[in-house]
Amino acid sequence: CKSKYEKLRASNDTAKKYREAIKFYDNKNYSKALPLFDDLITKYRGTAEAEDLSYYYAYTHYKLKDYTTARYHFKTFADTYASSPKAEECRFMAAYCFYLESPTYSLDQDNTLKAMDALQLFINLHPKSERVPEASKLIANLRLKLEQKSYENAKLFLDIGDYKSAVIAFRNSEREFPDTKYAEEMQFLTIKAQALYAGASLEVKQEERYNEAIQLANEFAVNYPTSKYLKEAEQIKKSSEKAIVDVRKLIATETALLEEQNAKIKAAQAAKDKKQEDTKNNSNE
Amino acid sequence: QFGRTGTQQPARPTTTSSEISYLNPQEFTIGGTTVSGTQFLDKSVLITISKLTTGDKIMVPGDATSNAVKNLWAQGLFDDVKLNVAEIRGDSIFFDIVVVERPRLTRIDLLGLKKGEVTDVKAKLNDKTGKVVNENLLKTTTDIIKKHFNEKGYLYTDVSIAQRKDTAEANNMILDITVDKNKRVKIDEIVFTGNKDFKDKTLKKYLKKTKERAFYKVFGSAKFLQAKYDEDKLTLISKMHEKGYRDAEIISDSTYRSSENGVTVKINLYEGPKYYFGNITFAGNAKYPREFLETLLSIKKGEVFSEEKLTRKLSSSPNGDDISSLYLNDGYLTFNVDPVQTKIYGDTIDLEIRMYEGPQYTVNKVMVKGNDLTNDKVILREIRTKPGQKFSKELIVRSTREIAQLGNFDDTKTDPKPININPNEGTVDIEYNVVEKPSDQIELSGGFGGGRVVGTLGLTFNNFSARNLFNMSAWKPLPKGDGQKLSIRGQTNGKFYQSYSFSFSEPWLGGKKPIYFGISAFTSLQSNGLRDSDIDQQKIRLNGMTFTLGQRLKWPDDYFQANTSINLQQYKLNNYNQFIFATGTSYNFNLTQEFSRSSIDAPIFPTSGSNLKLTIQATPPYSLLNNKNYAIATDKEKYKFTEYHKWKFESQWFQRIYGKLVLKAQAQFGLLGIYNTAVGQSAFERFKLGGDGMQGFDYLQGSEIIAMRGYANNAVIPSGSNPTIAQGSGSPIFNKYVLELRHPITASQSATIFVLAFAEGGNTWNSFRDFAPFNVRRTAGFGARVFLPIFGLLGIDYGFAFDKIPGLSDNGRQPFTFSISQALNGGFN
Repeated sequence: CKSKYEKLRASNDTAKKYREAIKFYDNKNYSKALPLFDDLITKYRGTAEAEDLSYYYAYTHYKLKDYTTARYHFKTFADTYASSPKAEECRFMAAYCFYLESPTYSLDQDNTLKAMDALQLFINLHPKSERVPEASKLIANLRLKLEQKSYENAKLFLDIGDYKSAVIAFRNSEREFPDTKYAEEMQFLTIKAQALYAGASLEVKQEERYNEAIQLANEFAVNYPTSKYLKEAEQIKKSSEKAIVDVRKLIATETALLEEQNAKIKAAQAAKDKKQEDTKNNSNE
Repeated sequence: QFGRTGTQQPARPTTTSSEISYLNPQEFTIGGTTVSGTQFLDKSVLITISKLTTGDKIMVPGDATSNAVKNLWAQGLFDDVKLNVAEIRGDSIFFDIVVVERPRLTRIDLLGLKKGEVTDVKAKLNDKTGKVVNENLLKTTTDIIKKHFNEKGYLYTDVSIAQRKDTAEANNMILDITVDKNKRVKIDEIVFTGNKDFKDKTLKKYLKKTKERAFYKVFGSAKFLQAKYDEDKLTLISKMHEKGYRDAEIISDSTYRSSENGVTVKINLYEGPKYYFGNITFAGNAKYPREFLETLLSIKKGEVFSEEKLTRKLSSSPNGDDISSLYLNDGYLTFNVDPVQTKIYGDTIDLEIRMYEGPQYTVNKVMVKGNDLTNDKVILREIRTKPGQKFSKELIVRSTREIAQLGNFDDTKTDPKPININPNEGTVDIEYNVVEKPSDQIELSGGFGGGRVVGTLGLTFNNFSARNLFNMSAWKPLPKGDGQKLSIRGQTNGKFYQSYSFSFSEPWLGGKKPIYFGISAFTSLQSNGLRDSDIDQQKIRLNGMTFTLGQRLKWPDDYFQANTSINLQQYKLNNYNQFIFATGTSYNFNLTQEFSRSSIDAPIFPTSGSNLKLTIQATPPYSLLNNKNYAIATDKEKYKFTEYHKWKFESQWFQRIYGKLVLKAQAQFGLLGIYNTAVGQSAFERFKLGGDGMQGFDYLQGSEIIAMRGYANNAVIPSGSNPTIAQGSGSPIFNKYVLELRHPITASQSATIFVLAFAEGGNTWNSFRDFAPFNVRRTAGFGARVFLPIFGLLGIDYGFAFDKIPGLSDNGRQPFTFSISQALNGGFN
């Protein structure tokens, strides 16, 4: 025996179906309202009720947390009934659905970018809307996510010991988000990564790379004179300076050693040559 | 009337009023719009949709008028839409929209097809419900159905459509489509004309998927499939080009019905002359000298001209020893090579290889896209093209492989792309596009064992995130994305047998270095079902725990891995008479160190690379420390703390030898040593050689099972030993050699199948004095393997054992062995 709801679904009394569907919606029973709307939406196409129906339909998906479908229906509504008083709301909701689908920073940010575009489009289309401040706030939130992603991924290279990659990644991140809240920390971490990179380099390359670290530390001191990282940055600078002195000494001793060896070899060769010459001279005599 | 679209052509002006002309648009105010011709639709809504709102100022003709028709047309409700000017009064214009409504489609009923076919066809037809039923719909529907079956070899499919009014709804139609596939069309004959140097037989071989029918081809398909045939024509020509006939082409081809359900394919060819390579010169090469490039190209003057060989040597060698790879692996991302035919005289072609080296590129950014579940760091840390490195194709390929080995992505869809190529800065960004795939496994099974039903429940999560265990928002449906592995498994048949295990592993412990950390624990129980208090109770309980730390090594090369693990096992026996002692407790506490190197190119069907593994496992030498007199100690005392040291070496090589044929060579050796002769050989950790290699109840003794096809399980015992004891306990020394030829049958997403022929030699010994590595028992045979993602690797082998093992039934022989292995970690069996 079919339940009352099943009978309603199967019936052809569209007017009753419509009334019941709205009732379900108003009573927050969205999962029951949805199948009814599904049936009705094709039947009512091109009729006066279609506008309200698609509005409810989009919201039903939204309430059921199916943001992908909801987004599509909000957008269709806004495009089809562009002159409707609800069009602005639906355009905003379409963008907001993208916003809700934007995942945590460590996953693919495709939806984040799309949400930013959609919200920006909303602001451009409805610059006087009362929803503009909210849209701007949402864009700021999304941007923060991108900043965090960029920062964390650059930091990953530092963590796993790819210092050169870390320096490049931090610089790219700073260039891409100049006003990020991570700017200060990233500049400091760049110094750290650069110094570690220098230390892991071949001796002949070390001086140049440490110098770079020192220069970065100087810039940091100018940019953030009150930074909490300042002390540590100074320390890195000092140890870099010391490392340069050390590596110079090391290279000097090595060169000296090498020269000494060369001299010895030369002397030995000379002695040998002389001996040969002597014997030659002797035999000639 | 000035605008109409009956078909989907742009509205054409048919001017009735001299005031309206496309050459002279004028501004009007809309005075009103009416709709005529509607039967079921609401007029006011149609006016809204047309956007011809009263009071609006519009240009006529203009965008507004053409959009009105377009918008209405887009509703898909009409067979015709016209926009007429009803009246012009001053600067006011009055429109009349004339529509012709058409019945709409309620549904399509397909007749004359099987259920599966109906589903397939419906999927191809998309959903046409609600669309207008007109000629166009009928035609496209017929075409789609015919095409669908043509692709499957039913060339002469009949489709007839009957329209029926839907009584339930006004103005709706149901389509009854009757499909008669008729017989599948096969190829009677393939006829070539115009070929002199190429034999018909050779040419037929080039058509890979288009084959003649013949009585002996039982499985071979002689179906005629247009799409395959079109592909085959291209291969045919490219094969002829490869052989030096670079002018070869198909002049014409036709297929005609030559019997009830057969066609004949006729191909008329132009062969042209056979060409040879002439002088080859290089231009634009600054980095490498001519001589070096010539060696790499390895094409001699006078060789048969082959476009295919040329391209292979220039840019697409599977081994990566082509000229392009040389540059692409060294940062020259925009390297380009173009062989130009400078001179053709007679049948000889002179070539100039023109090269553009371009700048050397450095990687600037690395990005991951498509990771909807797995966190960036899990992928980024495996990638070898990091910022600041020189661009290298080879490293990109290796990164792609490392990503595939994570097991969380569809490895056929991993797509690395160099983007934002900046020639001024010499930088490039690399974007790795991945597609997540479900990697969790659920094992729920019921089986019959020991006269009772055995139930198993196992859960494996391959992309777990322990960090998010208490972060509820990350549960979807479980915390995921950190590449950790968690598995839980329970198996029981009630009171007689219970086994529970748990394991967790993290591939990057601490997140800084690729240090593998694993922890696992298990407990299992087998008894005769009586209570602990019952004196007749027989029971063995095993508890165990393992901690593992693993590290990838950079020396001798970066394919090496070192694993250290600590294992603790406890055996508690009560009246259990199948063991060395019946009642008591024994402990096996050992430290295992393993060095391994794996460079195989695929886990299931490797075609190149090798696997090496050295394992050393040792317990503390208790007997040397505790001053116990083992000569007079009871069994219980003797075996309380098991002591031994165990050495194992395993190696495997894979090499493609001819076509798709792969040779696998394998050698294994294992030795269980003692610290103190008074204690004797350990009862645990011995080797059992022979059979399918499947773990049975033998784990209760901690034995290691080694497969050897052709013999029964545990049948390969040391010669001269007591069969019953040797089979039960296992042996302390073994070795085994395998040579195997493998050939793939299919390698698709859903299944990998290959056949194999093998020769094996292996033996066991009781003491190192007797050990003679080449005195082995020999077997040979053949078999097949099927890999199905849910089941794992299933195998069947037939083996013939050459050497008899006296004292065993059938001399230890067992021709057929079946195997299942779920884990594919190395697979040394």
